[in-house]
Amino acid sequence: MVILLQEFNFLQPENYREALNLLNEYHGKSKIIAGGTDLIVDLRKEKYTDLKYLIDISKLDELEYIKEDGEYIKIGSYTNHKSITKSDLVNKYAKILTLGCSEIGSPQIRNRGTIGGNIITGSPCADSVTPLVALNAIIVIESKEQKREVPIEEFYEGPYRPKIKANELLKEVYFKKLDNSYQGDFIKVKRRNAVSKARINIAALGKIDQAGKVFDIRLAPGSITPKPQRFKSVEELVKGREPDNEIIEKMGQKVAEIMIDKSGYRWSTEYKRPVIRDLTKRILKTVLEVE
Amino acid sequence: MQKIEINLTVNQRSYELKVKPNKRLLDVLRNDLNFTGVKEGCGIGECGACTVIMDGEIVNSCMVLAGQARDSEIITVEDLESENGLHPIQKAFIDAGAVQCGFCTPGMILSTLNLLKENSNPTRSEIKDGLEGNFCRCTGYKQIIDAVELAAEMMRD
Repeated sequence: MVILLQEFNFLQPENYREALNLLNEYHGKSKIIAGGTDLIVDLRKEKYTDLKYLIDISKLDELEYIKEDGEYIKIGSYTNHKSITKSDLVNKYAKILTLGCSEIGSPQIRNRGTIGGNIITGSPCADSVTPLVALNAIIVIESKEQKREVPIEEFYEGPYRPKIKANELLKEVYFKKLDNSYQGDFIKVKRRNAVSKARINIAALGKIDQAGKVFDIRLAPGSITPKPQRFKSVEELVKGREPDNEIIEKMGQKVAEIMIDKSGYRWSTEYKRPVIRDLTKRILKTVLEVE
Repeated sequence: MQKIEINLTVNQRSYELKVKPNKRLLDVLRNDLNFTGVKEGCGIGECGACTVIMDGEIVNSCMVLAGQARDSEIITVEDLESENGLHPIQKAFIDAGAVQCGFCTPGMILSTLNLLKENSNPTRSEIKDGLEGNFCRCTGYKQIIDAVELAAEMMRD
């Protein structure tokens, strides 16, 4: 038995510029394929009725890099999760991204799936996106005519709905290097240990100043709201203060309340409410160094 | 839908093919080139039955378009046996009783090959991580992990 994917013409640009030109030329009738680990599943379902051309960027070395640029780490969109998990730069300056990417799929998926693909698919449970939100990452998008930058938190209209036009290509994601005074962690709750989507994931970063007060705190829970975001009103509860178990308890409760405000009371709420509360507490204790 | 031309090397032999672009690497290997050790299981990148080694890394061949495999080097399970007989990993799978229905075995063996290339003496936990993208629906995981330990031992000697 041969399972066929929906039909398309296959274009393989020689370089990045040519990819942008093709996107412009076949505006609205084409899609980019990178690692393909999400897209090929959709092609089986014949999901894209207007699709005439697939533009393959998997041979474009120009989009495959992890580099240090002054105070930033920059990652090309066609960089796979395995390369990110093996990167000394990412591990040194953004350990939470190493942790997030190492949780994605399986070795086979991490060898093909890319950070750009994970961002563009826009699943609320994407394991690279939650850490990127905590890192205040910026994404670089380009079309034939123009280039723009967007904070990742502002990049989604809702689940699976990234704000990108048909003639635009995600080129890069970058973020500030964290110095070693930051503590960070990423936790994922899943139905089984292997090849599993996150039921809930959460990324957090914290920095305590000389006086023992919270200088910076960034809390980014995933899969509990329609789009990824930092919970800034919760962060405010502890910012500038000395963290203790009482505040952390309050923060955990508040995250659970915000989840219900934003996502409504759903079939999974009875489960997710105590779990996100306790995960928040656990991760805050780690990143704020509270016993 | 225009056919595309691709060159690829499979098990050290190069092929030139003209294929429909909506074929996957899996379809090319199984149906056009008759490497039937590559199995189609779930078709959505979860079960690992279609695992092959592409340019040195394991991939799900159901998740790679034929055109994306252009100019790449593919290894399937058929490459492992040599004039000297079965590969130590194949022998270890037989000796440890790690083959039940056998459908997952080619993928398991290729994942093992790459795991042992990166780590010649893995712990049981590292073996589980290395094979996490390969499902065995007969659930003979214990024997499979035993087989990988045995293969590692045989290949170190």
